[in-house]
Amino acid sequence: MSGTIQDTSVEAIRTWLVGRIAFYLQRSAEEIDADAPLVEIGLDSVYAMTLSGDVEERFDLEVEPTMAWDHPTVNALAGYLHGLLGSRG
Amino acid sequence: MRYPAFALAEHLDHGLGDPRDPARPASFARCVALDSREEFPAEICAELDRLGLPRFYVPAEYGGELRSYEELLHAVRILARRDLTVAIGHGKTYLGAVSAWVGATPEQARRVGAEVLAGSVISLALTEREHGSDLLAGEVSAVPTGDGYRVDGEKWLINNASRGDLVCVLARTEPAGGTRGFSLLLVDKRRLAPGTFRCLPKERTHGVRGADISGIAFTGAEVPAEALLGATGAGPEIVLKSVQLTRTMCAAMSLGLADQALRLVLDFATGHRLYDRPLVDLPHANRTLTEAYVDLLIGEATSVLTARGIHATPGELSVTSAVAKYLVPTMMDRTIPRLGQVLGARALLTEDHADGLFQKIERDHRIVGIFDGNTLVNLNTLVNQFPGLVRGYRRGVVDPGLVDTVELARPLPDFDRSRLALLSRTGCSVVQHLPAAVAEVLELVDAGIAPPALAVQAETLAGLVDGLHERMAAYRPQPRQVPAEAFGMAGEYALAFAAAACLHLWLRNRHWLSDGPTAPLWADARWLRACLHRLIGQLRPATATGSGSDDGEDYDRLLPDLRAQHHEGRLFSLLPARLAEAGAQHSESPSRLAEPAPQASESPARSAGTAAQLSEVAR
Repeated sequence: MSGTIQDTSVEAIRTWLVGRIAFYLQRSAEEIDADAPLVEIGLDSVYAMTLSGDVEERFDLEVEPTMAWDHPTVNALAGYLHGLLGSRG
Repeated sequence: MRYPAFALAEHLDHGLGDPRDPARPASFARCVALDSREEFPAEICAELDRLGLPRFYVPAEYGGELRSYEELLHAVRILARRDLTVAIGHGKTYLGAVSAWVGATPEQARRVGAEVLAGSVISLALTEREHGSDLLAGEVSAVPTGDGYRVDGEKWLINNASRGDLVCVLARTEPAGGTRGFSLLLVDKRRLAPGTFRCLPKERTHGVRGADISGIAFTGAEVPAEALLGATGAGPEIVLKSVQLTRTMCAAMSLGLADQALRLVLDFATGHRLYDRPLVDLPHANRTLTEAYVDLLIGEATSVLTARGIHATPGELSVTSAVAKYLVPTMMDRTIPRLGQVLGARALLTEDHADGLFQKIERDHRIVGIFDGNTLVNLNTLVNQFPGLVRGYRRGVVDPGLVDTVELARPLPDFDRSRLALLSRTGCSVVQHLPAAVAEVLELVDAGIAPPALAVQAETLAGLVDGLHERMAAYRPQPRQVPAEAFGMAGEYALAFAAAACLHLWLRNRHWLSDGPTAPLWADARWLRACLHRLIGQLRPATATGSGSDDGEDYDRLLPDLRAQHHEGRLFSLLPARLAEAGAQHSESPSRLAEPAPQASESPARSAGTAAQLSEVAR
């Protein structure tokens, strides 16, 4: 709610993303391959859009719903979000 | 009291003439005859070209006169009440061009606009035989050739694929596909090399039998690079944004068809006697009629707010357009057959009552729920946004544009495509502002301005909508199969939207609508009470509604309004609109609708007469 997450390292973002996706897919975090295309992990294009709402909640950061279409793996997304959060200062 | 957004609809309806006059080309009798022969209503569509309708498919910034989607909504509604085949056969060009309005460069969009103004028919080709509405499974491919693309594959169940001069095709531009693997190409059939495409035969359909529902198959069709609309890979995104506009217009088709069904049944019920009384005076029959009337008013409130939202709160359309496309057709799918029961056996006779028109309306309406995203697609869109909707409700988020959305007398801001969003960031302001509207109603009741029964309804509604959001908050998204209860909650959300829309409409418009032909409906909030009665009943079907004993008085009070609108040839509506049946139109339409186009600044190519000639040539 508060949007006062301090740790915006790539690693922290990646861990958080993996947790969200694992929760949604009802699998363990270890099963989520951070380099596999999200579609292959089992995330459909629509849920990939709703991830943007989670990101806005967590980091108080406005992102496009199509963010996961343009950065279609966990690692790509983590790098992208880290870049945005880092530039926010 | 004028409601300017009806001007275009009145212009078209009066231009086509009284549909009950069989001598008119666009009469009900002609439309029924064309339908039974499965013949495209070409003459009526040419008449619409002459009346200047294509100009209203093109946004003003691209050379046309589309300034208000509220106005377009009522135009589609008025055409659908005459003949759905006409509405989709002609309106399809809007659907074919909308991707350009949403996603093309301004220069491209102006070129597409010029085509529409010249009378070209444009079709939209998304679906394929093997893949239904799963757009990301499409196999039609577009491979870069250096100076353009080579298109291969087949699009099927495409409205106007054969008649169309241009076809907007969603094609796979990355072999692997995916959300960025498809692009839109505006293919000019007139410029394709012979033998590189063929139109598939018209499919026979149960409704809209005259419509050109066919397909097109490409075999090595070479199209130029400038056929690409928007960026490479932007196809799905443009389509998902475009349907937010077109789904709203689908609701208008349901409104038009239900209006005509109710009108037909009223014709019969006022003329037919049973037990020595006109049928309309029998309590059971008139309850069916007033319930249908209430459904129409609910559908109108929902559609009008959604259409105004295209201008004022476009960021929320992913929610509101799904609500309108789900709710209005689903509601009318129940309402229209119930009306048929009043006709009794006559509804089934093709040769008897009104040439079998009622049966045609029923058949035609079934298709509205299916195309442009079916019921489940729209409910699913809502389910996917539950988290954002719950957040928005709990925080009471209200987009500043809500004021313009709900206050009909306010001018609408220009539509800004850059504000369209695949997901709403602000949830849904119409619903999120409900608690404030309820508080305002309670104040009006305390002040003796609103009837006390309204307070009970408003509080009941507030409780139901709170409870719904608690259940939505507890829903955990499912990766594969969306459970039935989630669809159920999405359906309730649509009802909550409709109820909130009615409350806002009444609160913000009751002053300026307190005179004019629809004044009695507004004066004692009688339309609002009947609509809330019906919606609360559907949100809480097991028990009585919020207005105490459920004796249906809220509905009965509307019977005089319903009969007056029928008798005077007005649209069944909260707002004053005169149909062609009412006789000669007053000279009230704005000059831009007058014929011939009066402004000297209008170029010859844009005048309606020239457009009609060009379209004749094109055919």
